[in-house]
Amino acid sequence: MKIFSDREPIVALASPWGESAIAVLRISGEGSHSLLERVFKGSKKPVNVPGHTLVRGTLCGAGTNQSIDDVLLAVYKSPASYTGEEAAEIFCHGSLAVIKAALELLTVNGFRPANPGEFTLRAFMNKKMDLTRAEAVNEIIRSRTDKARALALNRLNGSIETQINEIKDRVTTMVSALEVQLDYPEEETENDFDFIKEAGDAKQRIERLLSTYSAGRIIQEGISMVLAGRTNAGKSTLFNLLVKEDRAIVSDVHGTTRDYIEGAISVEGIPVRLFDTAGLRISEEPLEREGMKRTRNLISGASILIYIVDATQGLTTEDEEFMARYRDKVKIIIVYNKIDVHPEGCPENGVPVSALSGKGLDLLNKTIVMTAIGTSAPDASEAVIDSIRQKECLSNAGRGLDDFMEGIKGHMPLDVLAVCLKDTVDALGELTGEVTSEEILEKMFSKFCVGK
Amino acid sequence: MTMDFDAIVIGGGHAGIEAALALSRLNFKTLLITQNLDCIGKMSCNPAIGGLAKGNLVREIDALGGQMARLIDATMIQYRLLNESKGPAVQAPRAQADMYEYACLARWVMEKQAGLELFQDTATDFLLNSRGDEIRGVVTERGKSFTCRTAVLTTGTFMEAKIFIGNYTAVSGRIGEPAAMGLGPNLSKMGFTLGRLKTGTPARVLKSSLHFDRMTLQEGDKAMIPFSYFNDSIERPSVPCHITHTTEETHKIIRDNIHLSPLYGGKITGIGPRYCPSIEDKVMRFPERQRHQVFVEPEGLQSEEMYLNGISSSLPEDVQEKFLRTVPGFEDMVIMKPGYAVEYDYVDPTQLSPSLETKRVQGLFIAGQTNGTSGYEEAAAQGLMAGINAAMKMQGKEPLILSRAEAYAGVLIDDLVTRGTKEPYRLFTSRAEYRLSLRHDACDMRLFEKAMAVGLHGEEAAERLKNKKNTLEEIKTLLAERKIKTGDAQKIGQLKSHTGESLAVALKDPLVQIKNLGIICDTLNGRDPRHLKQVELDIKYEGYIKRQEEQIKRFERLESLKIPEEFNYDTVTGLSTESREKLKKIRPVSLGQASRISGVRPADISLLLVYLRNPCKQV
Ligand SMILES: Cc1cc2nc3c(=O)[nH]c(=O)nc-3n(C[C@H](O)[C@H](O)[C@H](O)COP(=O)(O)OP(=O)(O)OC[C@H]3O[C@@H](n4cnc5c(N)ncnc54)[C@H](O)[C@@H]3O)c2cc1C
Ligand SMILES: Nc1nc2c(ncn2[C@@H]2O[C@H](COP(=O)(O)OP(=O)(O)OP(=O)(O)O)[C@@H](O)[C@H]2O)c(=O)[nH]1
Ligand SMILES: [Mg+2]
Repeated sequence: MKIFSDREPIVALASPWGESAIAVLRISGEGSHSLLERVFKGSKKPVNVPGHTLVRGTLCGAGTNQSIDDVLLAVYKSPASYTGEEAAEIFCHGSLAVIKAALELLTVNGFRPANPGEFTLRAFMNKKMDLTRAEAVNEIIRSRTDKARALALNRLNGSIETQINEIKDRVTTMVSALEVQLDYPEEETENDFDFIKEAGDAKQRIERLLSTYSAGRIIQEGISMVLAGRTNAGKSTLFNLLVKEDRAIVSDVHGTTRDYIEGAISVEGIPVRLFDTAGLRISEEPLEREGMKRTRNLISGASILIYIVDATQGLTTEDEEFMARYRDKVKIIIVYNKIDVHPEGCPENGVPVSALSGKGLDLLNKTIVMTAIGTSAPDASEAVIDSIRQKECLSNAGRGLDDFMEGIKGHMPLDVLAVCLKDTVDALGELTGEVTSEEILEKMFSKFCVGK
Repeated sequence: MTMDFDAIVIGGGHAGIEAALALSRLNFKTLLITQNLDCIGKMSCNPAIGGLAKGNLVREIDALGGQMARLIDATMIQYRLLNESKGPAVQAPRAQADMYEYACLARWVMEKQAGLELFQDTATDFLLNSRGDEIRGVVTERGKSFTCRTAVLTTGTFMEAKIFIGNYTAVSGRIGEPAAMGLGPNLSKMGFTLGRLKTGTPARVLKSSLHFDRMTLQEGDKAMIPFSYFNDSIERPSVPCHITHTTEETHKIIRDNIHLSPLYGGKITGIGPRYCPSIEDKVMRFPERQRHQVFVEPEGLQSEEMYLNGISSSLPEDVQEKFLRTVPGFEDMVIMKPGYAVEYDYVDPTQLSPSLETKRVQGLFIAGQTNGTSGYEEAAAQGLMAGINAAMKMQGKEPLILSRAEAYAGVLIDDLVTRGTKEPYRLFTSRAEYRLSLRHDACDMRLFEKAMAVGLHGEEAAERLKNKKNTLEEIKTLLAERKIKTGDAQKIGQLKSHTGESLAVALKDPLVQIKNLGIICDTLNGRDPRHLKQVELDIKYEGYIKRQEEQIKRFERLESLKIPEEFNYDTVTGLSTESREKLKKIRPVSLGQASRISGVRPADISLLLVYLRNPCKQV
């Protein structure tokens, strides 16, 4: 069980999760100022300035100089801070992309995502708060644990919580099978437990849960999606269909669309920024060439490329060459349009659509969701993991399993590898509750006969 | 004789021996009261010391200044390192003892120990102060009253004990020895909660009546490796064991007669061990198993009595004889002593502090089987710790409490006093969370200094520890500096893929073994194989050891948060009723211990943390 027993540096978003002009990230903990140096490049170093100072600078990844955002850093020295510890607040721009990048940057650089109420708890422990507020703190701790897991795992109700328990069960069974091999001589134990298979299985389940994390993020933050293809393939027609509005000009003249048009839609709950673009063809005309350049730029920055092929014409080598350039950069969906006139014109790997009649739109939407989040969209009752803390726990659990499997393949003895599984059990335990060694023994003896 | 002592130890079993020796060696005037001086150090059951996790305990006892390792080193008749083919955490030494020599030597060491007196009698009651919360002395069956400042109670399987063989019962703690009556009811009167446990032992049979050619031979290792860090080698005869197994017919006879078993007939109400079950239990609980292993072990060099490990029974003697004869090799077997079960009083160990002192009566310590454990090693480890802590108390010092991350003895005692036990508790490798750090080869490095601080180890230990550390460092440097050349790979095939690397790096490969490296690295030759092995394990599993150290750091955070003795749980609003009751009963010394009490919820631990950090005591 990991509870509030440490002073390690923690970070959390102090302003609400959402678009705003400015967002505030709060940091506290021993050594957090020197840790900040890894990611904060400013006019002064936070360790060197006095308390209550504002420092301007940029947030950027250690080693890389890729900056995430220009920020203001408020530096607080112990004990003159909210928590009483060395602390800081980062004021950054309030776009979700920036907030997310900043939080991730800080967590990979040594800041642990704070537990709910942890800042207040630290403040209390460092006597920054008087006793009259003790009850309030009590409430906070209660909510961390009793309301529980309801809150901490707030979205983890229903099927996903069951899933975590299933994973935990599996890992515990694995640990039991491993322990029994440790304590009893070979002759006495059944030795046919397939650790690789079990660990792989558990890992897969963790991965699946982790993927709901990105689904959760995607549902909150949305994606961008570009319609591209040769001229006259029907991009603008499809665009209008998707935005449910007559926005883009449609005509049978090749090269009708010259500059891109943007629209906001929702695909099964996922916010999508949609772009209609200039059709692709060989052209000497500067304006059209500029249009095509913009198309390429847009695609490079998008999450999904919908490549539209005129089903009556079929896929050409030009189409293939074009898509090949982006294959590693974006996810591609190939849509065969105009199936109303050419119903047989769509191969297996394509999505058949008639932009004119709206036929095939359902399948297209489903394909978009699948492509965006790797699974079908979670329905309202089946919520998703969406906190970095939960993601960290799951990743740690997964890492333990990975190292365990790698060790088995490298012929490491089981007793040594148990260390990896303990990490997994601890991490899962942090998500849901406790696994004690007594429980493991209990399991072990209910199953095995024991001798010398 | 004088009647006044600093310390009195009750019971001369494996726990009592360690307690009495530790106390007298720390210069306290000590009296051992035991029912029969000729039974000091007797092995009631298995003629062996060590085994998985238990072997580690024996070495810990040695590192902490106890006697058990030296006793077995001097009397072993077979040595094996168990699990050598498995990983480093589960390797453990085990030795067959000449149990007669062992007991004889134990008694002799006690007789020679300055400051220790031995007295044959049965303790029946305690003298307490007027408030009844502090020990003053011990009263015996023959009406003697001895005074003391501390007492260590180690009654083993004897307190209010009864033995069972089919329909036969006797008031006895070990076959042929009377039970110790009187103390149990008096402990209850003092307010202690007692319970009943049972355990069993197999028949002993005549060696010349067995057909060893129908069994599998099990030899010991070629070299006997000392348990004690103070012995460098052992030259003793090695005697083999034999393995056979039960048959379907054996099981049928047992099933047909199960109603005659005192356990199944309802005569025994005490709870038996799951992991050392009687053959009746094994047959009834695992009907799908077609056979169970039986080890035939010698009890001594000058005895024809053989111990049948794995087949303890309390069925009537004629049934025992009948089913034993269905085991290959036992067809003409002659029973010398029947198997039997024993049922006895134990004290709920959650009534103890981690120092093994009772919370109810100051100065009274309890150790060994009385606390619900089974096994000689478990008993000895507790006896030693109780002895040390009784001494610490009289010196006005803090008790020595070992953590779960530094000793199996720490795991054992923490489990007992925190969670209690409903059945005879036996130590397992798997009870420990941080096994890689509890390896038996490094007990000296973990514990010598503690024993030196206590006063049970002196110059010699310091010297040995220093030398060992230097040697290990030397070997590590050697391995780090020696690079593998192409020529080396020709001599040792496994090194092929490691040319250019240092030997230290190559050793991380599971296929590369330090014992083979002498061919290419002469400076490794002639070194103590124990040292080489220890370095090898350190290097091979370095990454995992580091990982475990991280886990230990996390664990220690809560351990280091102490709960004051007078802490009032009633002032903590918001604690769940169940947690509050449990906490008040166990009175954990740290938040870490509190978190291990079964039934105490994590939410309540968080809450406690807040209140502990809170400087004001009024709410
Ligand atoms: C039938 C039987 C089966 C066993 N089976 C197993 C097994 O399967 N596995 C296993 O690991 N261990 C087994 N053992 C247990 C093992 O013997 C003990 O765990 C170990 O000996 C405990 O050591 P101890 O010092 O606590 O007590 P013991 O070795 O029992 O010694 C207690 C000593 O104290 C003396 N004594 C007791 N009360 C008093 C008193 N009031 N006054 C004076 N002296 C007193 C007794 O005479 C005895 O000498 C078995 C023991 C018995 C008898
Ligand atoms: N039959 C049929 N015709 C379609 C369909 N979709 C588009 N068209 C027609 O195809 C022609 C070109 O459509 P646009 O949407 O303008 O094509 P575009 O890809 O945007 O073309 P550019 O902007 O020139 O690159 C128009 O005449 C559309 O009416 C369809 O699903 N079925
Ligand atoms: Mg267009």
